[in-house]
Amino acid sequence: MAKRARAVRWGVPVAAVAVVAAAVGTGPVIAAVRSDPSLPDRTAEQLLADVARTWESGRMPPMSGTIVETASLGLPALPGLSGAPGSGASAASLLSGSHQLKIWYAGEDRFRLMLPGEMSETDVVADGDTVWLWDSAANKATRLTAPAAFRGGPHGGPHGAFPPRSGAASPFASPFATPEQAARQALEAAGTDTAISVGDVVTVAGRAAYQIVLTPKSADSLIKDVRVALDGEKLMPLRVQVYTKGAAEPAFEVGFESLSFTAPAPENFSFTPPAGAKVEQGTATPPAGHRPEAAAEAHDRGRVVGSGWDSVLVTSLPDVPAQKQDGKGRDGMDVAALLDGLKGAATPVSGQWGSGRLLRTKVVSILITDDGRLLAGAVTPEALYRAAGVKE
Amino acid sequence: MSVREKAAAVSEARPGEEAPPSRRAEARTAPREERPSDRATGPAPSHLRHLTRLLASEIGLTFRRPRNLAMLGVLAVVPVLVGVAVRVASGADSGGSLLSQIAGNGLMLTFAAFAVMMPIVLPLTVAVVAGDAIAGEAAQGTLRYLLVAPAGRTRLLLVKYANVVVFCLAACALVALSALVAGLVLFPVGPVTLLSGTTIPAADALLRVGVVVLYTAAGMAALGAVALAVSTLTEAPIGAVATSVVLVVVSQVLSAIPQVAAVRPVLLTSWWGAFDGALRAPVAFDQMGQGLLAFAAYVLVFGSLAWSRFTSKDITA
Repeated sequence: MAKRARAVRWGVPVAAVAVVAAAVGTGPVIAAVRSDPSLPDRTAEQLLADVARTWESGRMPPMSGTIVETASLGLPALPGLSGAPGSGASAASLLSGSHQLKIWYAGEDRFRLMLPGEMSETDVVADGDTVWLWDSAANKATRLTAPAAFRGGPHGGPHGAFPPRSGAASPFASPFATPEQAARQALEAAGTDTAISVGDVVTVAGRAAYQIVLTPKSADSLIKDVRVALDGEKLMPLRVQVYTKGAAEPAFEVGFESLSFTAPAPENFSFTPPAGAKVEQGTATPPAGHRPEAAAEAHDRGRVVGSGWDSVLVTSLPDVPAQKQDGKGRDGMDVAALLDGLKGAATPVSGQWGSGRLLRTKVVSILITDDGRLLAGAVTPEALYRAAGVKE
Repeated sequence: MSVREKAAAVSEARPGEEAPPSRRAEARTAPREERPSDRATGPAPSHLRHLTRLLASEIGLTFRRPRNLAMLGVLAVVPVLVGVAVRVASGADSGGSLLSQIAGNGLMLTFAAFAVMMPIVLPLTVAVVAGDAIAGEAAQGTLRYLLVAPAGRTRLLLVKYANVVVFCLAACALVALSALVAGLVLFPVGPVTLLSGTTIPAADALLRVGVVVLYTAAGMAALGAVALAVSTLTEAPIGAVATSVVLVVVSQVLSAIPQVAAVRPVLLTSWWGAFDGALRAPVAFDQMGQGLLAFAAYVLVFGSLAWSRFTSKDITA
């Protein structure tokens, strides 16, 4: 066969690869081009006021969608932290990789969250006062009586974007008379250590969205900024991204991948424990985002030094051998193994404050001092050393 | 097929030569119909007829090969083994996993069987059939005889791949069938509890078994395209089979490592597990649709690769 004909033939698979790559790559591009996001300009204050007004007027629109959480926190591989592959429902496993969550939302007390795993599923189904937590792998249904008990849901993490009215931390809680006031108040409150600005309009889940950018003013913070994308029309949070200094990709991101504002089918909210399943009357709360320092915090000996973005958690190390019995965290994480892993991955450091081991990740620095304290915060190691130098 | 048989099959195309009355040789009756006069009068229908005959003979050969029959036998036995094991052990409460749900409902055995066999057993059988498709003929020296038939290399490759697809479908259907029968015999059958905790009637569950069979067959067909592409690269069928299996294992290892989670979406194996979308309420069509797109992409890329290689290589054996 002629050389040219042969080259043409080999061009076909090359073209096929190009077509596939283009199809994969152009999905987001097409979405971005199609709805080249254009929204009326709003200042941060106007935007916050509108958001507060929308939220105060109550209802989020009924919707269903898929939320994707991606974390690349730069954590070392720690025993007990990286969930076994396939056990997608493990809360600790949310700290690395990408996870999917489906949501059906009809109202504040009628929604369903679904965390799919491989041949397994974890569901939170709320219908009025009845809230079910279903774990297919354990074949266990837990009935929770207090709907408030699970605010944030399993995807909550440090910056749970949904449901927005859940947290008391919301700066838009009622004490403020008007949304404008609330917005001004929030800006002023944040003003001391945070710069709030409105970023470029972006497209999230095919919808044009405003971006509110929260930038820490402190030089010690590892966080470059936190970007909250708000739907241009419904002013609902669509995505939260945490960018760290010196990284082009967000270290943590949770946002809608697909979203539709149609009322979900009612059968999503009716849950009857299947025959043969274990049914429990639960006080159990679904596992919240679990950080290493939170595991230590469970020992109730932590205190927070500093404020705002520079907060540093100072806690004493759990006495591992003595606490072997309750060495397991709430969701079965072996704290002792986790601490050993932490120490193994950390590098020895010393200074005026003493000596210890330092673990640096993109988002969090963790210092374990030789005198048995654990300091953690989203700050530079230097800030941790300063905090360590302050004796109690 | 032996060289003799293939030569005999081809010789049937030549008028005046007597074909030996072998049953296997009769499977390749297609070329006999291909007379010059036929082609002159109506090329398109004749080609189509020729193709279907060639395909029929390929399928016949595939399903009559003792090796393939043995593999199909294994595929049929594994669900039964799983069922018997669960039945024997069902006295002890095994903690509520999918396997223990089988004890309560025979239909669950079908889904459990796929969960057990998807990672390696099914891919292995498909890799053997697809990896052997071209390389096997080349190794036995029968490939050039096949090419004597006026089918053309492109059509021959299409027929070979269609044969692989049929085998994938048959293998998956066989697994489902065997699991259904074993489940019916060993366990009570009734409404099925889905992963979402919803309970659906047994008839609906059967429908979902069908969805699972089609989806897994599509996933296996994508692997078949990969194995077929490898098969055109070599004349050692065992090499093609081994390469395909190694690819499967490596991508499964890769998708188990959290540090390289970014590559997961482009790996074929990570989409195989999405058949569990049929077990959710509502059915996760979005996930399965993405999986089917990924399979289609694999078939496109590796199919074209196989075509380029097969139509441009020198057939020396």
